[in-house]
Amino acid sequence: MSKSFAVLPCNGLDKAAGCIAREIALNILENSESEMICPVLYRIADARYTKIAQEKPLLVIDGCQTRCASKLASEKGLKVNIKLMVNEEAKNRGIELGDSLRLREKELKLAQDLVTELLKVKETEKVSESEIVYPETHDYEVYQKDKFIFRVPKEGFLFNENDSWVYISGNKARIGVTDYVQQSLSDIMFFTPPVVGSEVEQFGELGTVESGKAVFEVVSPVSGKIIAVNEELSAAPELINSNPYEKGWIAEVELSDLESDRELLLDFTGYFTILKRKVDEFHV
Amino acid sequence: MSINMVKVGVVSCSGEDCLGGTISRLATRKMLDEIRPDTTVTICLPLFLAGGVEERGFAEKFPTISVDGCSKACAKRATEKYSGKVSAAIDVSDFIGKEVAEAEALSIRNLTDEHSAMVEKVVSEITVKFDEVLRAAQRDLVAKGLAMVGSGPSGGCGCGCGTK
Repeated sequence: MSKSFAVLPCNGLDKAAGCIAREIALNILENSESEMICPVLYRIADARYTKIAQEKPLLVIDGCQTRCASKLASEKGLKVNIKLMVNEEAKNRGIELGDSLRLREKELKLAQDLVTELLKVKETEKVSESEIVYPETHDYEVYQKDKFIFRVPKEGFLFNENDSWVYISGNKARIGVTDYVQQSLSDIMFFTPPVVGSEVEQFGELGTVESGKAVFEVVSPVSGKIIAVNEELSAAPELINSNPYEKGWIAEVELSDLESDRELLLDFTGYFTILKRKVDEFHV
Repeated sequence: MSINMVKVGVVSCSGEDCLGGTISRLATRKMLDEIRPDTTVTICLPLFLAGGVEERGFAEKFPTISVDGCSKACAKRATEKYSGKVSAAIDVSDFIGKEVAEAEALSIRNLTDEHSAMVEKVVSEITVKFDEVLRAAQRDLVAKGLAMVGSGPSGGCGCGCGTK
């Protein structure tokens, strides 16, 4: 099967990150049978690009937190398969992007590395579907403050103090955030998934969720290789608000050191105690 | 920086659909980086279209020049739709030819001397228009007793990060 995406870059002109987004998009076109969606012309030639976006997996490339490309995809109601944020990728790799719009060697290398990873992700796309047998509903304990309800599943879950949960099934696990996160953020508007195929450490970042209030980095409760992300969240991040333990899960990993990771995890009783304290002391 | 300092906004088509867009983008950057760095403000068109308040606000208050890669004139149309009439409009295909302008977009890795020459040609045209627009704007402000000759930093980023 030939590799191909519908590529929607932010194409920003005013920052290095936007220029890198454009470079990544053009590089992907050179090295695959992908097609470009011009973010400017798309607002005019709707039908032409909507067809491309429906026929191929959609790759959205944003330069910065303004997320112009993601917003455009959202406005057009497109299903996003992969999202890439250049600023975050640079930060994760310890690369400081300068003010210059002229791409230097390190920016071009960053673009090339990301393209290589993206095309590799495409090759391994089949593993991005859930492989875990997972209960559809759970029994919850509820803590309520004012009008806010905080649920915590009673069985089968472990938690970290950063308000992430993990549900373990054999040597694999599903991960998400707790009600404390979604209640604190309020209406979640964006989800930036981690890269399938990459490794994550315990307490490493596992994507971000963003509302009008803040951006929350999902802190992984376990270490391992990311084998799947919840694709539905790209088009419907509000699923995290609806139920972060069920349809609002974040990612799945193949565990690499569960026994060691367990030492720093909490069971229901431990997390519920912490949650109540947080809600009483901090939650507004 | 005083609001009365005369600046000109250059709105480039973002050019993912054709070579003309690549040329317009590079020419606009050259205006900002080298030709008129003190008086050029670039406007990020994707952000402008996404509702960037600062980008749209600038284009409403200051004179603008649209630089489009082809006759679709996305930059001109968008500016006039959301912020008002442009002071000058440039269509790159008028200078490099329609067929060339509608060829595939290009990475800067693959720029040839021929492409660089196209950029120079467009920059020359933008500069002529730019200076006309700037002079007119200065005359207008002088007539109102408001003009200042500015040399502050230019560039334009509506997201508040401070980057040019």
